[in-house]
Amino acid sequence: MKSRDQEYKEIFIAEALEYFDALNRHISELEKNPEDEQLLAEIFRLLHNLKANAKAIGYTTIGDVSHKLETAFGLIRNKELSFTDEVVTVLFDGIDMLGEMISGIDGPNEVEPSPALLRNLDIIVNTLSDNTTELSKVQKYYTSKNLSLSDLIYIQIKKLDHLLNLVGELIIDRDRILSISKELDNDDLKNVSAHLYRITDELQYSVMDARLVNVGSLFNKFPRIVRDIAVTEKKEINLEISGQDIQIDRNILQIITDSLLHLMRNAISHGIEKADVRKKAKKTPHGNVTLSAQNDRDTVILRLTDDGKGIDQEEVKRAIVQRGFLTADAVKDLRETEVLSYLFEPGFSLAKEVTEVSGRGVGLDVVKNAIDSIGGRIRVDSKKGEGTTFTLFLPTSIAVKGALLCQIEENFYAIPLMHTDSVVAWPTQELHEVGDLLVADINGETITIVSMRELFNNDIREYSVKKKDLDNDVQNIIIVSYNNRKLGLIVDKLLRQQDIVIKALARPVNTIDIYAGVTLLGSGKVCLVLDVAAITRYFIARR
Amino acid sequence: METTDKKRILIVDDSFYMRTMLKNMLLDAGYDVVGEAPDGKTALQLAREKVPDLVTLDVILPDNTGLDVLKGIKGDNPGIKVVIVSAVGQEVIMNEAAEYGAFQYIIKPFSEDKVLEALNNAFKEE
Repeated sequence: MKSRDQEYKEIFIAEALEYFDALNRHISELEKNPEDEQLLAEIFRLLHNLKANAKAIGYTTIGDVSHKLETAFGLIRNKELSFTDEVVTVLFDGIDMLGEMISGIDGPNEVEPSPALLRNLDIIVNTLSDNTTELSKVQKYYTSKNLSLSDLIYIQIKKLDHLLNLVGELIIDRDRILSISKELDNDDLKNVSAHLYRITDELQYSVMDARLVNVGSLFNKFPRIVRDIAVTEKKEINLEISGQDIQIDRNILQIITDSLLHLMRNAISHGIEKADVRKKAKKTPHGNVTLSAQNDRDTVILRLTDDGKGIDQEEVKRAIVQRGFLTADAVKDLRETEVLSYLFEPGFSLAKEVTEVSGRGVGLDVVKNAIDSIGGRIRVDSKKGEGTTFTLFLPTSIAVKGALLCQIEENFYAIPLMHTDSVVAWPTQELHEVGDLLVADINGETITIVSMRELFNNDIREYSVKKKDLDNDVQNIIIVSYNNRKLGLIVDKLLRQQDIVIKALARPVNTIDIYAGVTLLGSGKVCLVLDVAAITRYFIARR
Repeated sequence: METTDKKRILIVDDSFYMRTMLKNMLLDAGYDVVGEAPDGKTALQLAREKVPDLVTLDVILPDNTGLDVLKGIKGDNPGIKVVIVSAVGQEVIMNEAAEYGAFQYIIKPFSEDKVLEALNNAFKEE
C-alpha cells in the first residue's frame, strides 16, 4: 500500500503549499484591513484545514504550529487579541515557519520549528494582548525570502486528453512534411524535418508519459474487495498481487476497472470451490487468486488466475449448441481455445445460480467490449479441475498505435499490431475451397482466408471467392486474431510497420463496419484502419 | 455489474486531501461515493441532485458554515443522514449539530474505524 501513502503525501504537500500561499496573501491584506471579518474567517479556515490534514497524515509539528496560529487568529476574531505590530510579526514568522516545514517534508532533513517562535506563539495565545514585551526576536532560517512554488501540480485528465489529441494532429503533419522534404530533395528542409521528427517524437512520449499511472493504483484496491466478496461467499481467499509498478495510461486503467472487478467476482464466486470440495480435490482449503501485471514492449499484460474448478469444455460445447451458436457437428471441430472464446459472446453465460456478488445478466461480453474499445485483447485459458486464467493485453497508451500497413489495389490500409499474428506467403494451390470461402491449414490450424480485394469490391454479405479469382501463385496473407480466433487476410502488398494516429470516421462511412477509423500517411494519402474484430466476427459466424 | 445496493455517500470537505482520504476509505469499505463538494453551495446542489443516503460534512467551509448546509440538506430531505467530520471540537457546535439532525460528530483527525463505525451505525438505525 506504499503507493497510496505516497499519493496522500503528495496531495498533502501540494495542498499545504497552496494554503501557505493563500495565508501569505491574506495576512498581508489583513495588515491593511485588520477589521476584515471575511479575511479573518478565511485565514482561520486555511489554518484549520492545515492542522487537520497535518494531524491526519502524521506531521504533528506542522499540526501543532498550525493549531497555535489558528488559536491566535481565533482570539483576534473574538477581539481577545489585538493585531498589533508585535503580534503581526509573530504571526508572519509563524506562517513562514509553516512554509519552511511544508517544503522540508520532501527535503533531506526535517525542519524543526524554532523554539523561540513556538514560545512567542504561546505568549500571544496564552497571555493578554498588552503583555507582549517578552516576545523575542526570532532568528530566521533564511535572510532573504525565497519564493518557492510547489513541484507538483494537479491537472484534469481532460486537459491531458486534449494535449494528446493535439500531439496526434501534429504527428500527422510532421509525417507529411517529412514526406514532402524527401520529394523535394532539399537538404535544408530535410535537416529541419529530421529535427522536427525527433522533437515531436519526444513530445509524444512526454505527453504519453504524463498520463501514465501505476497499475498499483487499481490493484491495491483489490485486497479489500476480495476480502468482502470472500466473506459474502463464505470462502477463504489468498490473494497475491504483483507488478504494481507497471505503468499504463490512466484512461485505459479507468476503462478496464469494472471488467477486472467483474472477472474477480466471477473467479471467487464461480471459480473457487467451497473448502470441503477443495479438500476432496486435494487442494488447499483456501482458494488462491493471483493478479499480476507485466510489460511486453508497448503492451501491458494483466493476468487474473484462480486455482478453482476451471471451465468444463464439454459444458461450454453443450451451451454453444443449446444457445444456437453452432450445430452439434460444427462444435466437434472447434479447438480448445475456440470453444472458450464463446464465453465472450453476448448472451452466453454458464452461471446456473444467481449469487449476491456475481449477479446475473452481465456476461463476459461486456468485459470484452470494454477491452475492444481501447484496442486491447482478452483471452481465457482454463483446465477443468485446475483453474482459470484471464489474460488482458492492453495498450500502454491510447492515441498512437503500432500498425501494419498494406496495400490492396491502389489503396492503403492499416491493421493494428495488437491484432496481427503473423504474415505468411502461401501458395494459392494450397488454399482449399469450402463453400463460398477459402481455408488454409497453417501451422496445424484451419484458418479461413479472406481476399480483401473481393471483400472491398462486394457487399460483405455477398462475399464469395474461388481459387480462380486469385491472381498470383503465391498470396500475401496477414494472419489476424480476435478473441482466440484467427483469420487470414490476403493483401496485394505488405508495406511497413508504422505508428499511426487513428481518427474516427465521419458519417456515413462509419456505418461500414469493417473500418475502425482512418489515418493520414506522410504522403498525404488517406489510409483506412481495418476493424479486425468486426471482420473476424463476421467470417467466424459465416463458417 | 453491481446488484447489491451500495449506500450512496456525498463527501463535503473543503480540503482535497481530506476528500481523497475519505473517498478512498469509503470506496474500500464498499460504499458508493456519488459526489464530492468543496463548499456549501456545491454541497446543497449535489445533495439535491444526487439525493445520497448519507453526507459526511465538514463544519468549516469557505462560503457557508457547515451548520447551514446541514440545515439545508435536512430541510430539503430529512431522510438524508448526515455525519459531521470536522476538527472543531467545541461542545456548542456539537450540540447544535445534533439539534439539526446530524447523526454523529467525528472529530478530526479521525481513525478509519471511527468513520466506518459511525456510518455503520447510521445505516443500522434504519
